[in-house]
Amino acid sequence: MSVRPDDSPGLLGLAERLVRYARRAGADEFEVGIGEGTELSLDVRLGEIENLVRAGSRSLGFRLIKDRKTASATSSDITPETVEGLILRAVGRAEMAQADAWAGLPELSGLVPDSSGLELYDPAVAALEPGTIIRSALETERIALADRRITNSHGASFTTHEGRSILANSNGFLGEYRKTYASLSLALQAGPTDDRVEDFWFSSGIHLAGLESPESVARTAVARTVRHLRPRKIATQRLPVVFEPLTAAGFLGFLFSCVSGTAVYQRTSCLADKLGERIGNGLVTVVDDGLLPGRLGSAPFDSEGVPTQRTVVVENGILRRFLCHTYAGRRLGLAATGNADGAGIGPNNFFLAPGPHAPEDIIRSCGRGLLVVRTLGHGFNPVNGDVSQGVFGLYIHGGEVAFPVSEATISGNLVGLLHDVEMVGRDLEFRGNVSAPSLKIAEMQVSGL
Amino acid sequence: MSLDFEDRFGLGPGDLRRLLETALSRGGDFAEVFLEYRTHGFILMEDDIVKETSESVDLGLGVRVCQGEKTGYGFTNDLSPEKGLAAALSAAAVADSPGPIRVFGRRIDRSPLDVYPVGEPAHRADLKAKIDFVRDAYAACLAAGPAVKKAKASLQDQVQYLVVANSEGRLAADARPLVKLTCVAVAEKGSVREYGFSGGGGRVGLEYFRDTLTPRAIGAESAREALLLLDARPAPAGEMPVVLSPGHAGVFIHEAVGHLVEADFNRKRTSIFWDKMGQRVGGPLVTIIDDPTIPGYRGSYAVDDEGTVPRKTILLDKGVLVGLLQDKLSARLTGRRPTGHGRRQDYTDFPIPRMANTYLAAGEDDPGEIVRSVKRGLYADRFSGGQVEDSGKFTFSVSSGFLIEDGRLTDPVKQATLIGSNLDILQKIDRVGRDLAFGHQTGSCGKEGQDVPVTDGCPTVRISKMTVGGMA
Repeated sequence: MSVRPDDSPGLLGLAERLVRYARRAGADEFEVGIGEGTELSLDVRLGEIENLVRAGSRSLGFRLIKDRKTASATSSDITPETVEGLILRAVGRAEMAQADAWAGLPELSGLVPDSSGLELYDPAVAALEPGTIIRSALETERIALADRRITNSHGASFTTHEGRSILANSNGFLGEYRKTYASLSLALQAGPTDDRVEDFWFSSGIHLAGLESPESVARTAVARTVRHLRPRKIATQRLPVVFEPLTAAGFLGFLFSCVSGTAVYQRTSCLADKLGERIGNGLVTVVDDGLLPGRLGSAPFDSEGVPTQRTVVVENGILRRFLCHTYAGRRLGLAATGNADGAGIGPNNFFLAPGPHAPEDIIRSCGRGLLVVRTLGHGFNPVNGDVSQGVFGLYIHGGEVAFPVSEATISGNLVGLLHDVEMVGRDLEFRGNVSAPSLKIAEMQVSGL
Repeated sequence: MSLDFEDRFGLGPGDLRRLLETALSRGGDFAEVFLEYRTHGFILMEDDIVKETSESVDLGLGVRVCQGEKTGYGFTNDLSPEKGLAAALSAAAVADSPGPIRVFGRRIDRSPLDVYPVGEPAHRADLKAKIDFVRDAYAACLAAGPAVKKAKASLQDQVQYLVVANSEGRLAADARPLVKLTCVAVAEKGSVREYGFSGGGGRVGLEYFRDTLTPRAIGAESAREALLLLDARPAPAGEMPVVLSPGHAGVFIHEAVGHLVEADFNRKRTSIFWDKMGQRVGGPLVTIIDDPTIPGYRGSYAVDDEGTVPRKTILLDKGVLVGLLQDKLSARLTGRRPTGHGRRQDYTDFPIPRMANTYLAAGEDDPGEIVRSVKRGLYADRFSGGQVEDSGKFTFSVSSGFLIEDGRLTDPVKQATLIGSNLDILQKIDRVGRDLAFGHQTGSCGKEGQDVPVTDGCPTVRISKMTVGGMA
């Protein structure tokens, strides 16, 4: 872990000063987060640089509680006069809000969690120069364009970010950590204009060495794109449905929105009354883990300073835990799980535990079925659990992929689908904050012709 | 207009010129400086209390350099001379041949448009007055019936000051107000739980919530949808005739046409429309327009984020593709005029072609007659977003609707996603009502990671056949 010991712009000192200022201004409790980051991002298209962005920025956000009344603010202008003005106005606004018995900062042990074992920072990412990422992105696209089935390109992108997060509060918490991010992506089109198909592939992570090679990103993007060529519409019917890891992760993101403590206490989750109950079959185990070394969703503490942890959310089909920040936890009589993300509750590394099956074997298990490879649109309703989603797929016949399918939708209800999970793949990869392996649902409603 | 931005940003015309000169120091065809200062207020009411208020300040500067099809961009939220020049140098890195710079005057080029009909600016109003509006919406929602178990109402207001200076000698400014009041209702009956949404606002003052759409009406409407859904059936599955309700169904136009006439996708030949200018791409009833100049609308502005005065732009005229949404870069590369659709989320982004207020023009049919013409189908009433890809495949999601049986609206039905291919569906628009309306003034559109406020509208429309992703 290469934490620079210095605090050159004095941001730690600023955070501490603001806590003292807010207390003097009348705040009972005060919490301030400061983020500082630099980004370098590049798009290339058809062999030329398209966009090159290089920038640094800072931002600050605080929450203030006075007489159990909350007011908050954010600012990209962190000059003392601006921030002090925001604090004074927030004190005034808090006085006009109403007391909320659950409002308040977390009770913390006082020990600031150490980030050194989490491998969140790669100096190689921070040291990347434009020339390096330009070569890499150009090579990625060039390999793909060499395939004659590819007829146009949305371009290749290489994005990097290096950031520092600082948090201080009036209970004496003062912590910071640094994190890097890099991603290489490519989006392509194949086929003539009026029968265009498109798809993409990407690789992202904290560590440069963990990124897939340009060759690998290009080959996967090409394969994913050309497999859509010459799609058919299929009849409306009930079919077994297999989700690839990327689309399974989308489905899991829907589950996340239903186990978020905020949705539960607000009664906008279909799982609000189901804690301790069976919501899926024994194949379904879902975990949120903020402590996995080197994973994108890891962090030593959340936006309230609560240490992150491993939380088993669903264990062999039983709903064990809602994910909570301090406020939702108090509302529900549960401990915070280290999932505060500034705006609300967010996933750390939220994933479906892998099963025993190779993805090819899952496809082979289907006499007929639909392999969902990409989704289009937003079709989740967390309040009632209904799912209705536009999909691009591959029709499975006799255990093999037969032809691509377009203009189809899949629909069902979350709880029913979790009970109908038939196979879980072993192909779990962490590509973001929400991840899943391949997943087979025994049957779903598919709409087409 | 005086150069009051010097006070707001601490930068004068001389500073802007220095930034542009630095930006073009390695060459380039075009350079631009964008200054932004935005404040945003938020009030949330739930659990019968005003739970939280917040405020945010965004201040920053972005510098763009274009050379051919290349764009270099740098930004900073530290407006000191060193950081500004560093951003300009970052932007300059993309260029490698010298370019000219024209000097702009000391006066801001004023937009002739007056699109902000604001009596009482929300950002200057007393917090108490705004809290009262939120309370009214909240109370009206809960009062709609005992089955409404939960209400959540919020008011957001902002004002965005911006200055654009470019190497073509343009110096433009805008001060954009924006307000929205929204309410979410959760209703329960036994184990059935549903929610409803409503809202309103725009680039208007607080008087809008007294004169045009009251908080009570917003609260009551959110409850109406939630209560209706308690008794709703699953939507049907398969292909069928679909009638779209006036106003809210504008999201269909936004997805099926709007994104695909953005000039960048056509210049890059990724949009299915790129080779179809002047050709028939939809039925003769399909005339589609984007107009950023409608006073008070959420998607409107006096100048776009490149300093261009926008104009009402016809995109499809009786089914024929006649126009694109142009920003400066795409216009320059394709020899067209900018239409004033270059927009950005904020100073951290460079502008790209975007929609503003997009709508399907009114036809001549009687809306009731359109419903009566359908033997069996779906009446899609309220919506919750959609998506499109450049190939023209698109979806939009209906949050509530009704079955049409023998020409009458019968049972309410729940959420369903509709999917189609735009060239196909645009040919299947075979009835267009005379009742053009716009949806809630609350929506935003996302593209390449940038969200901008938009509206969309349409009259009652019949699509002769479309795939409905219901459950039954």
